[in-house]
Amino acid sequence: MQTTNEYNRKRYRLGLWFVAPAVFVLLIVLAYPIFASLVLSFLRVRFAGQGLSFEFNGLNNYADLFRKDLFREALFRSVYYTVIEVVSVILLALLVALMLNHPLGRSAFYRVVLLVPWALAPVANAVLWKWIYNANYGILNQALRGLGAIEENIIWLGKPWLALNMILVADIWKAVPFIALLILAGLQNIPSYLYKAARLDGANAWQQFVHITLPGIKTTFVISIVLQSIWALKVFDLIYVLTKGSPADSTVLLNYLSWRETFSNLDIGYGAAIANVLFALMLMLALVYIRALRPRQTQAQGG
Amino acid sequence: MNSNRLVNRISRRDFLKLAGAGAASVALANFLASCAPKSDGGTLNVLVPAAPDPAPPGVGQFSLDAFEQWKKNNGFEVTYEAPPWPQLHDKMAANFASGQYVHDIIYMSGWVPEFADYLIDFADELPADIIADLPPSSFSTLTWGGKRLGVIFTLSLLTMFYNKEMLDGIGVKEAPKTWDELKGVAKELTGGGKYGWVLNYGAPEGIGGVASYWMCFLQQAGGKLYDDKGQPSFNNAAGVDSLQCMVDLMEFTDPGSLSYVGINDATNVFAAGQAAMMMNWPFMWKPANDPATSKVVGKVNAAVLPAGPAGTASIDGTDAYTITSLSPNPEGARKLIEFYLDAEVQKRQVLDTGWLPIRLSVLNDPEVQAAAPNAAVVLEQAKNPYDSYVTPDYNAVTTAIGVEIQKALAGTQSAADSIKNASDQVIEIVKKRG
Repeated sequence: MQTTNEYNRKRYRLGLWFVAPAVFVLLIVLAYPIFASLVLSFLRVRFAGQGLSFEFNGLNNYADLFRKDLFREALFRSVYYTVIEVVSVILLALLVALMLNHPLGRSAFYRVVLLVPWALAPVANAVLWKWIYNANYGILNQALRGLGAIEENIIWLGKPWLALNMILVADIWKAVPFIALLILAGLQNIPSYLYKAARLDGANAWQQFVHITLPGIKTTFVISIVLQSIWALKVFDLIYVLTKGSPADSTVLLNYLSWRETFSNLDIGYGAAIANVLFALMLMLALVYIRALRPRQTQAQGG
Repeated sequence: MNSNRLVNRISRRDFLKLAGAGAASVALANFLASCAPKSDGGTLNVLVPAAPDPAPPGVGQFSLDAFEQWKKNNGFEVTYEAPPWPQLHDKMAANFASGQYVHDIIYMSGWVPEFADYLIDFADELPADIIADLPPSSFSTLTWGGKRLGVIFTLSLLTMFYNKEMLDGIGVKEAPKTWDELKGVAKELTGGGKYGWVLNYGAPEGIGGVASYWMCFLQQAGGKLYDDKGQPSFNNAAGVDSLQCMVDLMEFTDPGSLSYVGINDATNVFAAGQAAMMMNWPFMWKPANDPATSKVVGKVNAAVLPAGPAGTASIDGTDAYTITSLSPNPEGARKLIEFYLDAEVQKRQVLDTGWLPIRLSVLNDPEVQAAAPNAAVVLEQAKNPYDSYVTPDYNAVTTAIGVEIQKALAGTQSAADSIKNASDQVIEIVKKRG
């Protein structure tokens, strides 16, 4: 007869076979590029002859990062962009989720409409905003002039900080729906009897929000913040379509800079070094994400 | 009993393992086989930009019957990959970096020195009548390391386009001939929501980026980007004056120009009658006179670019076809390029798409000159300097220069500082080039 241990070992081995294809795919599509990118960042890569030529470059690519103003500026702008986007998206998404959770907002129609920006292809979204911001024909200038808010057209993408913030607006518009639905799911997990009990105890709406709603969606909040931070850090499509990093590199963020150095300037080692810095930032956020999920798993197992 | 169970267990597991491994191997082999590009010699894979950028028959809507006939007569299938123009460079860089055969023919624009090692010299094998019918300078931007690595298929120099009606309105009967006239006319035409000048200054790099536009002014000022030893030589009066001219013009330029990243953004403003003058590629003539896309039909005229202290000058779009060194069928690829350069195909190219031919006999065809009166202007412009200064690190060089120019155009930095900063950066890039 098979012992329980032997049975468990067999199950474990069989399980390994089942996950092997997935592990294999992950190794090819995730681990290999990450490893290759790390290796490339220590090389000087040139296009020459029948293929690439590689030359060991030590830490020079990383030293270049901190020697070049553009990298430091791009890093600063990426952090600014991420902080503003995360704060804006979370606040707006919370507002939208609260409205959708209200009895008047529970129609599926609202959720479908809400999803439209999120469902748009990134480049289509960027092209849409390119027309909205167009200096001469854009609907934004037309609307503001119609309202009497401005007399002259504003060149939304022609001034450094303004251009960066207008890209932020376009990105926030696209990001809010998904985070709103995430928060909505969190809101719907809060037992309604807590609100009933609070009302019986005389709690007003604000007290209910602070003491029941916010603690109830704390985990969802953390997950939303981490996910949105990662997405904000890797913004590319909007910059590529709307400004190409202009004016005067003022909308060059880390991901765009990595692309430009790698594919446009063909400085592949330096581009890889930038990508690895970005990867390290996102990895730290991913670890926070995993940590945020852990208490919920523990509770589920315990309960 | 134990041994039987062992045998049964092993054989069943082995069978499952072998079957699984076999199926996975077959699936992987099929997958890899399907990923490999066709290189059977019967198919020519061609990478070109999507229309309305300069594209060959089959992507551009011209000479389609002749193209079908050519394929039939020569026994080739032609598979096009035609992404939007801005994606071309990345795509070919990735393909070349892979070291794998992907395309036989590739469209190039200023990138020949960059990818010179991946291209073959086939110009000598082109028929003598075609070579004799090309302008002598046709190969200048495609020659690297003494090899002619492609052939230009459209005469594409920047020239001036202007709205005759708007100029007539202020009593000006012809295009400005000098920088001062340009600024004067632009000033008079600016007002009431309209501007004297428009151009796309939003993207710094490449041909068609703001750095390349400045190169026109630089040469008009008598300057050069590099000296005879290949070192940057524009941090001087010519460099500063040329940029100062662009800065002076900004007051009369559509301010949206700083945000337009593509030539079409600027072309739309001109075609809507919102701006009086711009420099553009020759293809502009056709859409500007198409009632479906333009409000300035019949009002457009072309002229050579205004002269600076050293005369007029331009840059070359360098739109060319090249053959990759990994092509399994360079002979077939060359034949297809010969078809693209066929006189009749070249004629249909200009008549149906607006992109001028490169063959002199077609340029001088009365029907072509009637349909594209700007052809004569481009030929006149070609009598003057039009160096695009392409190098293997052209994108890096033009990005460095373009960003500094944008600062000057935005008024955040003086022209002199921009030129000095740009020069310093290009010196570093050239050093790195080795």
